[in-house]
Formats: sequence, structure tokens, C-alpha cells
Amino acid sequence: MIKDSLALDRLQHWMQAVITHPGGVLAGMGAEEARRHIDVDGDRVEEVITRSRALGSVDRLEVYARAYYARLIECLRAEFPVLIRAIGEDLFDEFAVGYLIHYPSRSYTLNRLGAHLARHLDETRPPDEGWAALLVDLAALEWAIGEVYDGPGVEGQRLLDAADLLVVPADRWPEVRLEAAPCLRTLALSHPVGAYYTALRRGEDATPPGPAESFLALTRRDFVVRLHELSRPQYHLLNALMGGQPLGPAIGAAMEADAVAPDRLVADLRRWFHDWAAAGFFRAIASPRRA
Amino acid sequence: MTRPRLGHDNLGLGVGLRTVHFPYILEHHPAVDWFEIISENFMDSGGRPRYVLDQLAERYRIVMHGVSLSIGSTDPLDREYLGKLKRLADGVTAHWVSDHLCWTGVAGRNTHDLLPVPLNERTLAHVVDRVRVVQDILERPLVLENPSSYVTFAASTMPEWEFLARMAEEADCGLLLDVNNVYVSSVNHDFDPVEYIRAVPHERVVQFHLAGHTDCGTHIVDTHDGEVVDPVWELYRLAHQLTGGVSTLLEWDAKIPPFPAVHAEVLKARDYMAAELPTRPAATDHVSKRLAGDEAVPHPLAHTVVEVS
Repeated sequence: MIKDSLALDRLQHWMQAVITHPGGVLAGMGAEEARRHIDVDGDRVEEVITRSRALGSVDRLEVYARAYYARLIECLRAEFPVLIRAIGEDLFDEFAVGYLIHYPSRSYTLNRLGAHLARHLDETRPPDEGWAALLVDLAALEWAIGEVYDGPGVEGQRLLDAADLLVVPADRWPEVRLEAAPCLRTLALSHPVGAYYTALRRGEDATPPGPAESFLALTRRDFVVRLHELSRPQYHLLNALMGGQPLGPAIGAAMEADAVAPDRLVADLRRWFHDWAAAGFFRAIASPRRA
Repeated sequence: MTRPRLGHDNLGLGVGLRTVHFPYILEHHPAVDWFEIISENFMDSGGRPRYVLDQLAERYRIVMHGVSLSIGSTDPLDREYLGKLKRLADGVTAHWVSDHLCWTGVAGRNTHDLLPVPLNERTLAHVVDRVRVVQDILERPLVLENPSSYVTFAASTMPEWEFLARMAEEADCGLLLDVNNVYVSSVNHDFDPVEYIRAVPHERVVQFHLAGHTDCGTHIVDTHDGEVVDPVWELYRLAHQLTGGVSTLLEWDAKIPPFPAVHAEVLKARDYMAAELPTRPAATDHVSKRLAGDEAVPHPLAHTVVEVS
């Protein structure tokens, strides 16, 4: 009898393989992943799972098998409502099933279920289809917005404002490090999806944008996530600052990455930092010799 | 001698806190006795969900209910998760911390389902050992809920109520008696729910759960998407009488109505707290809605929904 030698770990590995198989319970029982633990087919499954008066063992397991995909797809739908508006529920569900097969949840929280969806879409997209790259961008943005929404923030804290920056002596600027707000995120995308996302989120009709490099900063004020368009040098400069580089080397990195003329960049910097401080991008001046 | 409710207070009639109700609760401060939170929705939150919870914790009593402890799994216990669970419990001054007698996955995976365990001596020893470890880490007794289930195992050698009683005694933990789950499983597994309610160790029952379910004809699915049906209320009447009354919580996790409707549903419990003996609910006399089985998804989805301003 199977049950006499049935260790709990074998039973659990078998049951998980059976109820998560995309082909259903019978296909799951026949798959190597399940048979490695308990080699039983539909005719003998009652030696593992007993039947009830109303349902056979396979039908009882099917309750779990149906629920596995239904539950997790429902969760993904709640995490990506804008992506669904862009592509429709049927196509989204198709993507979701593929995603759950390739990236089954390994987290204790459903709040991280969709963490790799953009990566999965990128890994499986047809290479020459622009619309597919747009969907990858949209998924990446929607996920990032969810992370910023529920991640650490700065509500109730004093942030760096423009006046704080003005008191830094000019000769100290190169060594100044700025502590970014923990909710500040940057994204480099292949389509300008910021406005498209916002329109879809509001329920408005919107034309999908064509391909063009796009850079975004996300942050959160008063528990509302805000999107800011960035230029390429702004993106590189912000990334360098968020990585802990002092202002001087960060500006150097931005110039190098973007081949920006120094005089042009210097002229822009004052306005950029004024805008960024007003938007709450920075929490403090982290220089050891604070002015 | 175990004290009633394992020494915990009877908090009264509570409601499961759900994101969609945040605006209503913050604006109206409804007269709810207590709230139960899904632990996993808040243990990592640094945003509005945690902010709202902290506000509510100043005004309401909070109980934590988890869905990912996976106490019955053969995977190692997740120490990082347990650390976060304890920090959250301390942070919101949780009255107790509960989860389910189940496993949620193995090999590092999480199915996000509350899967049943075979009820035998080996499983009992395994679960008791893990409950003790968890209680040491949390520095408080764990409270475990009877899950609703859809399969039983050939390897089981004892009924669920006996397993729960022995587990609670040997691990010195509390029980969350989900009356709806008793009813759902009694139909799915052909046992007498009254025998179950009578057999659990009443002094270890810290909390009751109530919820709606979906009758699929051949089985019942624990969908948490509607009102509590009469047979479950009758079981609740019996459970209330046998325990002397414990904190009671209504779960509503799908097709969630406005907050006042959810609150009104749990307040119906007052009608069943009278001392008279219950009428015996038969497994076939339930009055609940029928749905195609393919549409019914068991038990709650526990995730945070981004609010849009």
C-alpha cells in the first residue's frame, strides 16, 4: 500500500506538482515531477487521496488545481489593471498563465507575485514587435508604481528644499552627497509610457506611443505616487547620486554617459536641483562636512 | 488547568480589515469591536496600508491573521518571515497572532493556498515541533485555525477535531475555530459538524471565524463572498454556548460590499448568543447560492491593492 510508506515530504511534493500542473490533475499525476515522489495514476490515486460520497479523488484534487491558477491570475489582474486596459483580459490571462509557470511564487506575500512579470514578457516577446516592447515597459512601470506606493516613504519627514541647497558653498559642491528619498525610483524605458499609463489609469482612451527612449523618476508624497519625466543626462545624474556618488563625480558620469557639453550641463544643473528638491527627491545632504 | 480562551479577552464582534474599506473606516470610525488584519499585507508595508493600520491601532484592538506560516510544510520555517511577524505584532500591539493548520508550498514555492495535511501521528509530531519553535520566536502562544479543505488523505488516521485537540494540548497553543470551515469540510468529507464542534477543546478556542461560501452541488467552496448561511449560524450558536463566548470575526474577501453591510453581517451573531440549545444542522439543509464549480475560488486573496488618488 502506498499510504503505509508515505512520508509527509513526498506527499507534499507530489500534491504540489499535481495541483499546479497547467494541464490539470491527471496530466500532473503523469508528469515526471509528480511521479518522482509518488508514482500513481488516476486509477490508483485513491490510495493517496480518498474519495467523498459525492466526488472522486481526481475531482477533489481538481478543486485545488482550478483554484491555483484562478486565484493567482486574479491577484495579478489586481496588480496590473492598466496593462489589462491596454491588452484586454484574455491576452493578459494568457500571459499570466505563462508567467506563473515560469516564475511560480517564492514569496510569503502575494504583494510580490508580479515582481518578474515585465522580465517574463521581455524574455518571451517576439523580437521585432514594437508593441511587445511597449507592454514590457508598461508592466515595468505599473509594477514600480506599486512598489513605490507600498514601500518606504518620507511622509511626515522634512525633506531637502531648494534653500538648503543654496547654502552649500560653491567650492563644496563637488564633494556633496545627497541622500535620496527612499521612495525615489528611476526607470529607463524604450517607449514614453508615462502619459499613456496615466491616461489609461484614468479610464481615458489613449493611443499607444511609438518607440522612443524615455526616462522616468517615481516618488511619493502624501502617499500618492508621482511620475516625473527625465532627460537622459538627468537620468544618469540621478542614478549616480542615488548610488551614493558625490555630486562632482556624478556630474562627470552624466557628462560621460551622454556626451553633454560641460557649459551646457552647468547651466541646467541649478534648475534641475531646484525642481528635484521641490519634488522631494532628496532627504538630506549626506556630506560629512555639511555646510 | 487551561484558562478559557487561553487567557485572552473576548474582544466582541470584529471585521476583517480590507483595503477597499480604508476610506470609509478613516472617515466614519465605525463602532467595530476589533479588526483582524492579514499579517502579510502589512509586514513589509512602508506606505499607506501601514500608515492606515497604525492609525487604526490607536483606536481599535488589532488581531493578526496570517496565511503563509505554512506550519505543516516540510520546508524549513522561514525565520525572516517570523522575525517580521514578531515586529509587526509588537508594532501594532496585536492581541494575538493566528494562522492555519496547513501547508502552503514546498521546495521554496508558495501556492498561496491553505493545503491540508494528512492527519496522523507523524504529522502531529511534525506540527507540534514547529509550533513550539514559532512560539519561542514570537514569544507568545500561536493560534491555529482549522482550514476548509477539499481532499482527505488515505494516510490519515484520526479526525481533524482529534488532531486539533492533541496539537493544541501538546504544543500549548490556541485555536481559531472557523465555524464556516467546519461546515464546509463536513459537507466535503461527510462528517458531522456538531460532533466536531463538541469535540474541540473549548477552553483553547481563542477566536471564531464566520464567512460565506459557495455550494457547488457535489461540494462546497469556501469563497468568503457572501452572507453566513443559517446552518453555520446554528453551529456558531452551539460553539458560543460550549466556549462561553469568544472573539468573533467575519471574513468577506470577494465581491466585498460596502463596510456597513459587512459590519451588519457580523452583528447578526448577537442573535445566536442566546443560551438555548441549537437545532442540529444537517449537511444537506444548507441554503446557499449555487455557482458553477469552475467559478468558485477557495478562501481569501490576501494582497494589497494600490489606491489611486
